[in-house]
Amino acid sequence: MDAHVNTGTPLLEVRNLTKIFGRGIGRGHETIALQDFSLALYDDQPMITAIAGESGSGKTTLARLILDFIQPTSGQILWRGQNLHKMSKKELMSYRHECQAVFQDPYAAFNPFYRVDHIFHMAITEFKLARSRDEAEKIVDEALEVVGLRPQEILGKYPHQLSGGQRQRLIVARALLLKPRLIVADEPVSMIDASLRAMILDIMLKLKDEFGISFLYITHDLSTAYQISDRIFILYEGSVTETGDATGVIGNPQHPYTQLLIGSVPTPDPTLKWAEDIELSADEEFGKGDKAGCRFYSRCPHSMEECHLSPPQLYEVGEDGHYASCYLYK
Amino acid sequence: MSEHVLKVENLKVYYWTDRGPIKAVDGIDLEVRKGERFGIVGESGCGKSTTAMSLLRLIKQPGSIEQGRIVLDGDDLLQLDDEAMRAARWSRISLIPQGSMNSLNPVIKIGSQITDAVVAHGGSVARADAKARITELLGMVGLPARVYNMYPHELSGGMKQRVCIAMAIVLQPRVIIADEPTSALDVVVQRVVTQTLIKVQESLGASLVIIGHDMGLLAQLVDRLAVMYAGKVAEVSPAEEIYKDPLHPYTQLLIGSIPSVKEKKHLEGIPGLPPTLLEPPSGCIFHPRCPHATEQCSTEVPEYREVRPGRMVACHLFN
Repeated sequence: MDAHVNTGTPLLEVRNLTKIFGRGIGRGHETIALQDFSLALYDDQPMITAIAGESGSGKTTLARLILDFIQPTSGQILWRGQNLHKMSKKELMSYRHECQAVFQDPYAAFNPFYRVDHIFHMAITEFKLARSRDEAEKIVDEALEVVGLRPQEILGKYPHQLSGGQRQRLIVARALLLKPRLIVADEPVSMIDASLRAMILDIMLKLKDEFGISFLYITHDLSTAYQISDRIFILYEGSVTETGDATGVIGNPQHPYTQLLIGSVPTPDPTLKWAEDIELSADEEFGKGDKAGCRFYSRCPHSMEECHLSPPQLYEVGEDGHYASCYLYK
Repeated sequence: MSEHVLKVENLKVYYWTDRGPIKAVDGIDLEVRKGERFGIVGESGCGKSTTAMSLLRLIKQPGSIEQGRIVLDGDDLLQLDDEAMRAARWSRISLIPQGSMNSLNPVIKIGSQITDAVVAHGGSVARADAKARITELLGMVGLPARVYNMYPHELSGGMKQRVCIAMAIVLQPRVIIADEPTSALDVVVQRVVTQTLIKVQESLGASLVIIGHDMGLLAQLVDRLAVMYAGKVAEVSPAEEIYKDPLHPYTQLLIGSIPSVKEKKHLEGIPGLPPTLLEPPSGCIFHPRCPHATEQCSTEVPEYREVRPGRMVACHLFN
């Protein structure tokens, strides 16, 4: 499925990952949060891979599965060829060293009672990153410099004294301290103001280009995904509707859902208004859409008989590994 | 079209702290015309929500409206006594507060909640008439009649937001204030809710003031746009002109920082940080971050005035 020919062992490989919530004794109702998701990332080709979708599309579930916060219902996650769920404690520790996370809320990520330096000290102690105080100070300063913060202005302060943008850059600096190979960034800029957002996105590009760090960029915002990602997966109700090169998918979407999604992103130009009014049927708004076939069946303007019967697989629709899960391209 | 429904003059709203007042809104002037959609855009902490709340005199302690006039159809709302103000809310000016879809009472059916809004604001209707009227309103915002008998948890976010729109228009106000009406909604739902808002506003002939941070979304929605920064208005211009030819340097940088799905560009942020409003910078409040700042900007507060027809700017570049 990946267009880039690469025969080595992937850094991260996700195979047919599925997560179903609410399956248990006496529970009739279950939710398929993620279905049959596969992906491979290679260490020698650092990339920003965007996982984009609306709320409830399963993008955060994917992040939590990869970060080993929750267990998959089926499928595998392999890190350097090793199954995440069969790792020894030591191997798991080295995975936690190499795979870092940046979350949405830079306010919730800090303990308000500690100075912000605390997040660095914890990482340094836990992973034995420095042998002396001086060395610790040096690596913290270096990491702060990469994210464009001046140590003397930041260190020693309490979280409430810093802005959201500064805090988020601190979190990135903390991740950087561990020299990760992959950073899972779950909506890292959605709570940051527009004028400061560009800085965080720039840092992500810099870490990829200069440090060879790969990113899984989880987002609902297609425009930032378009600006910084190399590859993209569009999720809808837990399934991939379209994937490929980010420029190709967003510039020339093939799946009817991706087309609707991209057509709904407001353009900052009053002369380019939304094409037409759209309406959602009451059933789909109440979440009673058909679950047997294509998840997008009830909303799709091109729906056909077979869409209703079974879910479509991914069909090739263009160059550079551009695939869409739609019977139009069978 | 140029008749003013709402006029804000030199409004100042401060939050009082031990260390002195935080000047959240510091002397703003705005005019909203009859039947227009007026946007107020700005980043967190610029005073846009405080402005929205003060238009209905809903500022709570430790905040207070220090100075200014808010003139709605000739009446200064700041001079009304509390009872008269209560009567004006909803019947003349109404609010769709930020995150209002999460403020619906979870144990009361939608129909009763809207009826309560009518009763609380002096609409004297019999419950039976109310039902017909509310069902009609639900239809106006594109919701099926059965929503009347449903509870909030049975509705999606976009539907709850439209219930809040219905609630805001129940007494047919002249001015509707919507504070971030589509934040936290997905883009497709956001588009539906935005369309609903436009449709409702047009059919009532009311004026709509939309508070937001998303310049892209506001481009789809407003006739004129005010840009706020650190408690002050930087610029007010017609939408077509402000996106094509922004005048204030802050507006220019703000528009430059919007990512697009149409073209790839290097995203420019704005260097520096928004100022603390306890000790705002001297002179023009934007000067520490402004690429065009001169000596004058750090000492003199720029006058807010009309520099081209219909275009108001507070910047020394245009003197």
